Amino acid sequence: MGLTAPKSISGLPQEEAESELRLGDIPLSQTVELVRIDLPAEQAEPLLERGVLPGCRICPVRSSPAGDPIVSVDGSLLALRRETANCLCVRLLSDVS
Amino acid sequence: MRDLSATTEGTTPTRSQAENEVRLPLIALIGPPNSGKTTLFNRLTGLRQKVANYPGVTVEKYVGQVQCNRERTVELVDLPGVHGFSARTLDERVTRDVLEGHAEDLPAPDAVVLIVDCTRLESQLMLVEPVLKLEIPTLLVLNMWDELEERGGNLNEMELADLLGVEVVKTNARVGLGVERIKEFLLGVEIRERGLPPPVRVLSNVPRGVPLPMIDAFTARRRRLDKVVDRASFVSPAPARLTAALDAVFLHRIWGPLVFLTVVIVVFQSIFTWAVPLMDGVELLITSSGEWLASKLADGWFRSLLIDGVWAGVGSVVVFLPQILILFLFLGILEDSGYMARAAVIADRIMYRVGLQGRAFLPLLSGYACAIPAILAARTVEDERDRLATIFITPFMTCSARLPIYALLIAAFIPEGRLLGPFLGYRAAVLLGLYGLGIVAAVVTAFLLKRTLLRAQPGSFVMDLPSYRLPSVRSIGLRLLDRSKIFLRRAGRIIFAVAIVLWVLTQFPRTDAGPPLIEDSALGRIGQVIEPAIEPLGFDWRIGVGLVTSLAAREVIVGTLGTIYGVEDATDDSITLQETLRRDLTLPAAIGLLVFFAFALQCMSTVAVMRRETGGWKWPILQFSYMLFLAYSGAFIAVRLF
Repeated sequence: MGLTAPKSISGLPQEEAESELRLGDIPLSQTVELVRIDLPAEQAEPLLERGVLPGCRICPVRSSPAGDPIVSVDGSLLALRRETANCLCVRLLSDVS
Repeated sequence: MRDLSATTEGTTPTRSQAENEVRLPLIALIGPPNSGKTTLFNRLTGLRQKVANYPGVTVEKYVGQVQCNRERTVELVDLPGVHGFSARTLDERVTRDVLEGHAEDLPAPDAVVLIVDCTRLESQLMLVEPVLKLEIPTLLVLNMWDELEERGGNLNEMELADLLGVEVVKTNARVGLGVERIKEFLLGVEIRERGLPPPVRVLSNVPRGVPLPMIDAFTARRRRLDKVVDRASFVSPAPARLTAALDAVFLHRIWGPLVFLTVVIVVFQSIFTWAVPLMDGVELLITSSGEWLASKLADGWFRSLLIDGVWAGVGSVVVFLPQILILFLFLGILEDSGYMARAAVIADRIMYRVGLQGRAFLPLLSGYACAIPAILAARTVEDERDRLATIFITPFMTCSARLPIYALLIAAFIPEGRLLGPFLGYRAAVLLGLYGLGIVAAVVTAFLLKRTLLRAQPGSFVMDLPSYRLPSVRSIGLRLLDRSKIFLRRAGRIIFAVAIVLWVLTQFPRTDAGPPLIEDSALGRIGQVIEPAIEPLGFDWRIGVGLVTSLAAREVIVGTLGTIYGVEDATDDSITLQETLRRDLTLPAAIGLLVFFAFALQCMSTVAVMRRETGGWKWPILQFSYMLFLAYSGAFIAVRLF
């Protein structure tokens, strides 16, 4: 168990600093790939359990009345806070379809 | 370690007893939230579910019996929905303890039924690996199969069964499809050997002794699962169109909050309008049966006890059953349809400002029905300080036990009339105001707590938004039946006992002419001792007695007043409780009493469950004193304001 929680946990070994795009910046209906979760382990775990893992495809589908993102991951709808979404580093998918 | 064992009251024999005799095979039912677990549980156990509840206390695990065929019955335990086994939340700890065989009141299960929503197979299967590690017979239930097919998804379930090495059943628990196959599995479950100590199995999200950081372990598990899902030719379904269309309205910037408000108003209005004919019916039933009984009995102390004591006391509370059922009906529909999760999203920003998680919204909302299941539901709140703050403010939510006294006083003192066209009358508006008062107190309290005793950084928030579904009549019906049983049992036990004690106190000391005037009776004298304390609030001794008895449970005050006035006005049957209240209470004092009830923690079950959930007396004592202080000062101010 990740009891000794690292400040931030990275999925890919050495992520280049270029991918500083956050999920909170992504416009609606644009699918992106999750690169890194900048959250302490105990806060990241609920995300991990719901399939929000580095490498997964994630797509903001709408925003709540207060402007918080609602995203689609693996066919599940998840509501996040924008503070949480801003801790998720993402990458645009190169093959734009 | 906290004592999480369920308080059951003589419903089940203790486990050691049962083990010596013939133990039924025990099967654990687990799955992620919103996978249809409880629907399946109700399907399998039907009406023969043993309500393992202390009156009013919903315990965290339900045990029911399943009749597989004529000879064979097995026990099924319904565990809280979990996404994983991190034991980060109390719910997860409960689930883990039961599966690992560490629960005090249950043996280790002989088999597991794991139910998943197969429209979201990839993420839902994250539970499979740790469950398989338990190495006990497992059945994987692919629920909502119909929805998968409807939306163009597909899966080779035989292949999936082979790859995972478990039995697999496709179901639609809502209509009962596939339930027979599950029963076949249950039929084959054997009781595992009890002679040897059970092997130590530890559930965890991350395998023990694996040096990988958590995220890598998760990713690795996910890769293995993706392979399995691919080879079982899983085609994920198209997005649910209805859900998208409804969300476009319910989560709309303007329509969303409007719908939210409308829903709340409709619920409260209907508590007053729809319930009236039903309540009149119940009341008629009680009075006519009381009169019938009275006519059959000889005049004497027994008739007086039965009619003026018990019938008046218990009857005056039972009248409120329709209102409470309507409230639970609405909560059930909102929850089962999937709207509640959207409401939580709309409320999250407000919760965030207060310093709480949006997840706390669900327990708080169920606090409108009853604080006890709500305090238990707060186990899903992940941060311990947030959980404490959530359960501390839960009793401010206007629970259904307040409805009897609210409804009685409002009907007696607030005139009918329209405030906002046909939608909102004066009475519903006052009721809404009382609910609002509770919310304000809760918000202020949470704000203070999060800045003093429970200071913490706001955490992250993830909320699952399930697809919208038509609520099942059967599932909601079963829950309403459950609530009726609990309510009537409370009325039958506490209120019955209080009614008898009160009646006896009104009969002594005897005078030459028989029972004393009520002011001179033992009860009257007790009330007059209390009176100076509540006199500044404008309450007389009768209300004082009601306040004391309602310490057991709020609705008891109505029964108490029913008994007191029943004895006092025994000669005049036509006079109603409302009329006598109008005679003895001024309007400001009535408002003061409403405010008192909005704030005070008059519920022993809540205090008991608080002690259990916080592991000591510190929090319940603090909470009780704080709420009493608010109640007294609130009523004191209200009486002078109006």
